[in-house]
Amino acid sequence: MHNYLIKRLLSTVPVLIGISLLLFFMLRMLPGDPAQVLAGQMATPQEIENIRHQLGLDRPIYEQYAVYMSHLVRLDLGRSARTQNPVIDEIWARLPNTLLLTVVAITLACLFGIPAGIISAVRPYSWIDYLVTISALFGMSMPVFWLGLMLVVVFAVILQWLPAGGTGSWQHVILPSVTLASFVVAFIARMTRSTMLETLSQDFTTTARSKGLTEKVVIVKHALKNALIPIITVVGLQFGFLLGGAVLTETVFAWPGLGRLLYDSISARDYPMIQGTILIFGLLYIFVNLVVDLIYAFVDPRIRYD
Amino acid sequence: MKNTGVSVRNIILIPMLIVALGLCVSPKNAQAEVKELIIGIGIDADTLLPYDQTTTLMQNMADLIYDSFLYQDPEGKLHPRLATGYEVSPDGLTYTINLRKGVKFSDGTDFNADAAKAGWDNVLNPKTRVPLRFAVGMVKECVKIDDYTIQLKLKFAFAPLAPTIAMSLISPISPAALKKYGEDIRQHPTGAGPYVLDKWVKGDRIEMVRNENYWGEKPTVAKIIWKIVPEAATREAMLRAGQIHICYKPLPSNVAALKADANVTVEMPLDTRTIFMGLNYQKGVTTNKKVRQAFNYAVDKKAIVKKILFGTAEPMDGPVSPKVFGYHKMAHQYDYNPEKAKQLLKEANFDFSKTVSMRTPQGRYLFDRQVSEAIQAYLQAIGVKAELRTYDWPTYVAGLLKPLEESELEVFLLGWGPLILDADMGLYGQFTCEVNPPKGLGAAFYCNPEYDKIMKASREEQDPQKRSALLKQASEMVWDDAPWMWLHVEKFVIAYSSKIKGMVVTPTEKFYPHYITMQ
Repeated sequence: MHNYLIKRLLSTVPVLIGISLLLFFMLRMLPGDPAQVLAGQMATPQEIENIRHQLGLDRPIYEQYAVYMSHLVRLDLGRSARTQNPVIDEIWARLPNTLLLTVVAITLACLFGIPAGIISAVRPYSWIDYLVTISALFGMSMPVFWLGLMLVVVFAVILQWLPAGGTGSWQHVILPSVTLASFVVAFIARMTRSTMLETLSQDFTTTARSKGLTEKVVIVKHALKNALIPIITVVGLQFGFLLGGAVLTETVFAWPGLGRLLYDSISARDYPMIQGTILIFGLLYIFVNLVVDLIYAFVDPRIRYD
Repeated sequence: MKNTGVSVRNIILIPMLIVALGLCVSPKNAQAEVKELIIGIGIDADTLLPYDQTTTLMQNMADLIYDSFLYQDPEGKLHPRLATGYEVSPDGLTYTINLRKGVKFSDGTDFNADAAKAGWDNVLNPKTRVPLRFAVGMVKECVKIDDYTIQLKLKFAFAPLAPTIAMSLISPISPAALKKYGEDIRQHPTGAGPYVLDKWVKGDRIEMVRNENYWGEKPTVAKIIWKIVPEAATREAMLRAGQIHICYKPLPSNVAALKADANVTVEMPLDTRTIFMGLNYQKGVTTNKKVRQAFNYAVDKKAIVKKILFGTAEPMDGPVSPKVFGYHKMAHQYDYNPEKAKQLLKEANFDFSKTVSMRTPQGRYLFDRQVSEAIQAYLQAIGVKAELRTYDWPTYVAGLLKPLEESELEVFLLGWGPLILDADMGLYGQFTCEVNPPKGLGAAFYCNPEYDKIMKASREEQDPQKRSALLKQASEMVWDDAPWMWLHVEKFVIAYSSKIKGMVVTPTEKFYPHYITMQ
């Protein structure tokens, strides 16, 4: 296991170099000049050229990449072109918010999605199965933006139970995490239902039942445990997706997270900030994948990494 | 803000209590001291450094930390601030500015001629990043005369210099702080204004507290929190829920509903920003004056303002906003007249088989794409084939600065918002040959030596009446030549709790809440 861990951690280095390389050159292929955006609409060409020089954008692209990499190996992500603040400070200020929202949303999604999927699979084509299926369909097809605004109107404006947006207390987390979870819960419920249906029809489940085990034990200890691997995969993937893909939720609920930071940085062509944020997303994604792989071994003893 | 649950009992009792309180509390019971004011805004500040800022909202925030030399009120009148007065030499090339005595920056540094000169030198230094330097490009140098007097020497006579020095761009910064923080001064704003920065939680909020050593009248608001709420609908919800006091730029589509709410006051003064469709004066089908005029007649600007912009703009009736000095309503208007448009196109021998290329940014101005789509439809209604392309702002703006030979611009949507209440920045900054790209942003490539002569004379003319007459002459000339489809002047919309009294809202999209009272 230790060797496996070391190997996996070492493999992140070429992955990150690959990300940085792709990102660096692809960003510079985008139309739009960061100096022009920074200078504003009324700036003269001389001023724009001045800013371009200050940002080092007038150097050859390979030279820019070499400078960037030389900073990166010293864990220096550079300074934001827009704010002139160190990129790492800007990311660090928002990372806890992103992690908090993602963890709460995923937890909520698992707490509701897995039991709903199990119940649905145990009673297929019953009214409860139809209810779960229809709810999942709603959850997946409802625009996050619309749902978020509806929750704001009901819980913040009409009932005045919860804050409409911002951070600062546990109440602030409720509406954005519920909004974010609504989509994921549907996914998890659907996945749990289909994998549970499959395992419930397999021979080992019939054997367990014929041994006289209670239905509860058959479902939880035998069927669910065997159905968990695809569910864990989906949860892991969704976790990674939510880290950077919660822009709309962050926008509606004024949640200062990394998704919004990335969106704003792309709009301003703030290269150092885009590169830094995506690199951090890459790292987090690799970490989540690693954790998922380790959980596989924990859930299914047949999986060994030695 | 505190959130409370609501029970059925409360639903009955609270309105009764409110009515009872309403009977007891007269409007006279306004709070002289407002402990905390929360303002919902859409974006976080990149920097609060006045000379590095191009966004009006951020300049607005910086204005509370950095006092300016002069203040231009919503009517355009100038008031002394850190400058107590100024004199202009007869040739208009030297401005002598008297500075206020006994003022200190918030870090305790004295404000004097040395500090003022250091600020000017910094802004005029080409190595300093000053995106809007063109606005003070006429200043050659700043000279210290004595401890409380400076002189600005100009490269050329520039009549609207006084409102120019009222701009945030050159608001004095503590020289000691500049030296101490260097580049990091962006995050440590230190000025002589009524507030100081207390806390900056990135992406969440900016908190300012009253500068207790402020030289001027003590602000009534002790603490101002700028809460970052990117979604306008959420800002409105927070205003209605009482979680913020001021909602910056609510959705135009919701203005009517907000106005109907007794708990909300909506202000929407006319702005200086004009929105137009540029028509390339030197290239393509729009080089013909009759075609440009026809395009102006083809578009129903009143309908656009009413149906697309929900009344948050006014159709243009002159080449600049009515809020600026030098504005004149034009005698002849391009009222919607598709028949006349067709007639003019016929007279111009317009080739209807050609497709006119239109482009628009998306999300830069109010309903920009929708306005462009409407114009496309109006052009098609008179038989003109028009193809519309949409771009994000960085891509769009890159295409605006190309020289004529490389420019692909034919018909394009853009906005122009002068920073001061004077027509010069609009009439000179968009229509003189000097500002044709790539030197400037007069992307319609309008170039008329006769017009340039009038505009140059207007800059040299110190008599306001004579200057106004010259600006009228220039306006008439460019209005007739029609290098733009003259669309509309935006309104600056701001909604706030109706308990607030004494808010100052300006046509340059700024508002000053620090002397408000709460009822």
